[in-house]
Amino acid sequence: MARRDERAARIGSHLVQAGFLLAVLILWYLATNRWGVNRLLLPNPISVWHQLLDVLRTGEYLPDLRVTLTELAVAFVLAMTSGTIVGYFVSRSRYAIRVFDPLFAGIYSIPIILFLPLYVLFFGLGPASKIALGTTISFFPIVLSTIAGFGNVDRIFVTAARSMGASDYRLFRYVLVPAALPVILTGLRMGFTVALLSIIGSETIASLAGLGHHIVELAEGMDMPRMFAYIAFVVVIAALLNGIVSFLEARGRRRG
Amino acid sequence: MNAPVRHFLPRHPGVVRLGAVILILIAWEIAARWFIDPLFISPPSRVFASLGTVWQTNGVPAALRLTFFELAVAFAISVVIGLVVGLAVGLQPFARRSMMPIILLLYGLPQITILPIFILYFGIGAASKIAFGATHGTFPIIITVVAGVQNLKPILLTSARSMGASRWHILRWVIFPHMIPSFFAGMRLGMTGVLLGVLLAELYVSTAGIGHFTTLFTENFDPTKLFGLIAMLAAMAIALNEIVRRAETRFGRWR
Amino acid sequence: MTAGDIAVRIKGVSHQFGEAGEAQHVRALLDTSLDIARGELLCLIGPSGCGKSTLLNVIGGLLAPTSGAVEVAGKPVRGPMPHEIAFVFQENALFPWNTIVENVRLGMLFQGVPKAAHETRAKRSLEAVGLADFAHHYPGQLSGGMRQRAALARALSLETEILLMDEPFGALDEQTRMILGEDLSVLLARTEKTIVFVTHSLGEAVFLADRVAVFSARPGTIKKIIRVDEPHPRKPDFATSEKFAALRNELYALLHDEIRKAVSEAAGARVAGADGGAS
Repeated sequence: MARRDERAARIGSHLVQAGFLLAVLILWYLATNRWGVNRLLLPNPISVWHQLLDVLRTGEYLPDLRVTLTELAVAFVLAMTSGTIVGYFVSRSRYAIRVFDPLFAGIYSIPIILFLPLYVLFFGLGPASKIALGTTISFFPIVLSTIAGFGNVDRIFVTAARSMGASDYRLFRYVLVPAALPVILTGLRMGFTVALLSIIGSETIASLAGLGHHIVELAEGMDMPRMFAYIAFVVVIAALLNGIVSFLEARGRRRG
Repeated sequence: MNAPVRHFLPRHPGVVRLGAVILILIAWEIAARWFIDPLFISPPSRVFASLGTVWQTNGVPAALRLTFFELAVAFAISVVIGLVVGLAVGLQPFARRSMMPIILLLYGLPQITILPIFILYFGIGAASKIAFGATHGTFPIIITVVAGVQNLKPILLTSARSMGASRWHILRWVIFPHMIPSFFAGMRLGMTGVLLGVLLAELYVSTAGIGHFTTLFTENFDPTKLFGLIAMLAAMAIALNEIVRRAETRFGRWR
Repeated sequence: MTAGDIAVRIKGVSHQFGEAGEAQHVRALLDTSLDIARGELLCLIGPSGCGKSTLLNVIGGLLAPTSGAVEVAGKPVRGPMPHEIAFVFQENALFPWNTIVENVRLGMLFQGVPKAAHETRAKRSLEAVGLADFAHHYPGQLSGGMRQRAALARALSLETEILLMDEPFGALDEQTRMILGEDLSVLLARTEKTIVFVTHSLGEAVFLADRVAVFSARPGTIKKIIRVDEPHPRKPDFATSEKFAALRNELYALLHDEIRKAVSEAAGARVAGADGGAS
């Protein structure tokens, strides 16, 4: 009895979700085609679709995508390296953790994107400022999770390994790293997501190239259908990248 | 290091932290004064000295006040909508199962991509900033309120039922007090979201508000005034975060 | 027993969880019948999974049995009966965001006791369990034993005829259980409540009960009812008497095979991939 209700509820909820998405699309279509909503505000969904296909076909997105992905890659690598190294060395001392952890957490609590104008002033409007900001913002979740990961390794593991004669290096490689890895991987995933968002964000606000910048260009040209299409494209790219990173995180956690 | 100092520092990591910050400020001061072109970086001493001039620049206080207003309104909207939707979804199991995936999906979208749309729709004034901030702040509150209603231990509901509690009794005396800590935690996350949303929108609009001044100072290569302005905004952000954090500590915990 | 002396009448109650053939199917109780006299303390004891907690929940109206019925004070049980039945659970069921006295008062609010009576009743029940000095503490600040005393105070303040206690001391250490058991006996000698008490502990059952209903392994049914003829309040030296030892041995003999059966069934089920349900 309970089982049948359970299945009905599950199907019902999926129906509601599908129905919701369908309703949004239908309302969108009606709004632009029947109810006379200003096309300058809300483009026809059909033309958005055509524009999307066009964008994909012409490969117009390629140079912007390349810029954004390069910025993302460089920023993330820099943040990952600096974050894990700094995090590891801080985690070696309880006292250092007490000093620096609240400091990092405190800085991270304000929107660091505020400092974008300063970065633009120093590095210019090119990719360098985006990379610098992306690295800065991405650094914090990585360093915080590295500190947490290494700092919370159960002392009993260290004691057991030492009692069996493990050297510093062996201890690090076979005890500390596997124990800390799940937490660090989560931090890396968060760092990646945050780097992606801040790079698209800084491209939107102050840039000459990149996916975020292109959306702004289309907005300023009032090319609504193409802008909507581009936004959809960027959302999908972001979802794809985040999905890949989440998958890697899950795999890394399982093996470690 | 002599003995008393050696015993003092370990017990006061806050002092060491402050010391680390001061060291960074000193390094910055030295680098800015002697090594880097003053066109790009300004030493903290000069920034601090010219805070007054920034404040006296025409339009800056008004822009700061407006930003604060936008933050407050966006936060209030987020809290109200977040609480109402969170309770509506959290209390009804079917609503939760069907709506939560949609909410989580929307929450995961990079909202920054639709910032230009918000500006096109709502203009360059306060409305777009408030709207964009509210969309960032509402989701964390909904999610934490739903979680707060969810993780109620079933034994507490059973116990209340066994004592004859009505549906209203359970809502008012069991679910609601249980949900309060999550709600306050959600408000803390909501404030972070609102800060991000409003400030992103402000920085984007270069013809009005804060964005006008950041663009102005950047184009004029005036790092002193730029940093001064950003420092003021950062102080605002820190203060607001602190208020919500204190509220959480005071009201959001059962002793 | 005459009709007027029967507080609870259990008629042919069976209960199963899930449908036959499903992985979660559990036949918890099988055709259990029992009359519980007014003012007696009846213990339900049996191996894990034998359905004693399930039966308690059925009596209390928290669970509707798949077949059979229960009558309390002559009325059929169709849901919680807060005016007739109060519960004390094994798990900590105090609201952590309220103080002890607030918890007690909340119980009365739920039941519908007029506000004017709250103060006196709360004071009385807290004094009865020895927690008068801790009224304004939060459950998190108290030990496990004190929390269960508070839960008992909350149940007592509802002034119901029947008290259902589901392994209330199960999460406590043995020494605390001993003390609480003695205190419970003293307390209940003063009132005339009917108490149904589920326990795993043989000693606890013999020490507290007027009658002990011994359950078989799953699906549970009453194997035998043992009478303990000793007036309440039970003195501590009852626990060292020969009568006590003899009764305890009798319980042990009845239960031992059932416990073995329950353990081997649980191990087999775990290997097969399914998992047990009720207790």
